Amino acid sequence: MAFEFKLPDIGEGVVEGEIVSWLVKEGDAVHEDQPLVEVMTDKATVEIPSPREGVIVRRVGSEGEIVRVGATLVVIDEKGDRSTKAASGAVSDAAIAGKAGSPGGAQKSARAQQKDTARSRSHADGSTRQPATPAMRRLAREMGVNLDSVAATGPGGRVTREDIEAAVRAAPGRSAGAVTAQTEERIPLRGLRKRIAERMVRSKRSAPHYTYVEEVDVTSLVELKEKAQEQPDSKEKITYLPFIIKAVVRGLESHPLLNATLDETTQEVVLKKYYNIGVAVATEEGLMVPVVKAADRLSLRDLAANIQRLADDARAGKSRLEDLQGSTFTITSLGALGGILATPIINYPEVAILGVHKIRLRPEYVSGSIEPRHIMYLSLSLDHRVVDGVIGAQFTADVKRLLEAPEQLLDQ
Amino acid sequence: MIEAHFPLRQVLNENGEIVSRPPVLSREEQVRLYRSMLRIRLIDERMMMLQRQGRVGFYGACTGQEAAVVGSAAAFRPEDWIFPGLREGGAALMRGFPLLDYVSQVLGNRIDPTKGRQMPCHYSAPAANYVSWSSCIATQLPHAVGAALAMKKRKTAAIAIAYFGDGATSEGDFNVAMNFAGVYKAPVLFFCQNNQWAISVPMDHQTAAETFAVKAVAYGLKSLRVDGNDVLAVFRETQAAVDEVRGGGGPILIEAVTYRMGAHSSSDDPSRYRDESVTEQWKARDPLIRYRRYLRGLGLWNDELERLATHEMQEELAATIQSAEAAGEPSVQTLFEDVYSRKPWHLVVQEREG
Repeated sequence: MAFEFKLPDIGEGVVEGEIVSWLVKEGDAVHEDQPLVEVMTDKATVEIPSPREGVIVRRVGSEGEIVRVGATLVVIDEKGDRSTKAASGAVSDAAIAGKAGSPGGAQKSARAQQKDTARSRSHADGSTRQPATPAMRRLAREMGVNLDSVAATGPGGRVTREDIEAAVRAAPGRSAGAVTAQTEERIPLRGLRKRIAERMVRSKRSAPHYTYVEEVDVTSLVELKEKAQEQPDSKEKITYLPFIIKAVVRGLESHPLLNATLDETTQEVVLKKYYNIGVAVATEEGLMVPVVKAADRLSLRDLAANIQRLADDARAGKSRLEDLQGSTFTITSLGALGGILATPIINYPEVAILGVHKIRLRPEYVSGSIEPRHIMYLSLSLDHRVVDGVIGAQFTADVKRLLEAPEQLLDQ
Repeated sequence: MIEAHFPLRQVLNENGEIVSRPPVLSREEQVRLYRSMLRIRLIDERMMMLQRQGRVGFYGACTGQEAAVVGSAAAFRPEDWIFPGLREGGAALMRGFPLLDYVSQVLGNRIDPTKGRQMPCHYSAPAANYVSWSSCIATQLPHAVGAALAMKKRKTAAIAIAYFGDGATSEGDFNVAMNFAGVYKAPVLFFCQNNQWAISVPMDHQTAAETFAVKAVAYGLKSLRVDGNDVLAVFRETQAAVDEVRGGGGPILIEAVTYRMGAHSSSDDPSRYRDESVTEQWKARDPLIRYRRYLRGLGLWNDELERLATHEMQEELAATIQSAEAAGEPSVQTLFEDVYSRKPWHLVVQEREG
């Protein structure tokens, strides 16, 4: 075997060295540790000893020349190997590449190279990935380069900065500058999207919002809902929403300021003596808010049936105009997506909106012990021009109390 | 003038002749001291060679200072704790740190107890009561004092030994440690290897004092100077100091006067900043040569024993290097271990990307 000995980093972070004098000639037999060459770096002048025993078949570089760390210094024909011609041809290429190329390109010690083959990058999922440092992964992401398509030249087969830059240059029709420019698409703001935009802006501009968040232990409600679902005669899909609407309506009855609008022209608060509850529904076109009319007069089952019809119509694009008008209070829920809490935007000109969040099973301290409990957050946004914090808090406390003892919500 | 108060204590002069009372040591113990020095010398030579061949990233040899390291380390008990400075790897070996671990640490391979994370040649041998080296100068000195105070509070018989170089005496930590140790009578031995050079800074640029031993006076510590190239003197003086520290007599500073015969490290070239003809003078005071002369005179050593010991140690070293090089690198996964008890998310992400 012909062994290519490459200039090691003989200092700390040395990148190149000058050949001061050769201590062996081509054709010389050398033993391990025999000094081969004297090299001067910016830190020290040192003798480089041979790591192998054999015959020097090739020296690369003459005295006074600069050799980069990682470039071949000598080729040693280890005992019993005669096939040196091909090897020496290959070496001169490697040496030239090492000299002309970047330091990263050539910085590969013989040891690191041997290891490259041993290191297979198999992952648990069976895929293989290019090894690269987090910094280089980030650079590749920023440059829009697929790491797996980059030819790696770093130690241990790692992708270097130069490799990524080379991949960027090689990509057809893309200059390094153009790659970082993001492509764009323009979508006209039309129809429902435009209406949503206008209403959100109006709400946020006119109503100083604040959001009050409370957590509710809905363990009993979860059990109750499961029981209700088990009833054989149930046609409707029972969700939590009918219960929540019931609790909200009771709360609104006690705190009429939240079931109101502010008439800005007359500077009057208009208390509504009816309870039309808007229910935010996500559709393909965007957010819609169909309205459950006279919610205070509906049974749980009627509420469920109403919600289902309104939501189905909204998603199918079949909502009637009157279904989308006249709400006095709005509830917004993302259902299973739910999140922890939010800062809902009030459905203008109402003064309050209730966000309902995901129910999570959590360990809770209940009368002296830790128990698994179902916990849900409520986020209530209010128009501070009309409703002060204490009233919002009282309303939320009422809703919480009702939801925590939900048998009170059952139809009489 | 001050130097007169801190005479350089010697047992052997440069010719290996006895000039004062030698320590009481068996024949085996006397030979062991020599073999320990020889072993370090051979390991250092080999490691520097591997560094030049690109097989090791970095190395710092202790060449010229073997007597200071071996003579002092031989005087400690196994339960004592060593807080090394730089160049006391030999002390770890004497306390049972395996040669394979030593070489593996320099290589940073899969066996390396520091998992390839430490700088090469910065050993950590907790099983040998030997704390990790730190490249930061003098940080180990307050650590040693703190550990010594803990030993005192627990009423154990152990003491702490802090090694450091002449350069460390210019650090705040040195002065903090000396003062604290003095006030609280911590059972700690400060062992200064004054090798004349802190990388490229000579002693006369390090201090205007004539000795480093004198610095202890201001802190109320006892101190003394010993010929650091005389292994018997180092052993005798360290043993006496250790006994006194252990007996509750308070901390002591020993200044071992020696010389760094080689480069600071594999990255250094001393011919650029010092007169190497001075180095040649010190080579004549080589601690191995001096002690070998003495042992020969006693009939405890000869050329044949030297040849056999060298061969045996080189064989052991060659086999160990072969095993260490074959062990391969630490797995990438080890990069994500040991720092946090629970891995934070950003490391989990990076580990997945790895």
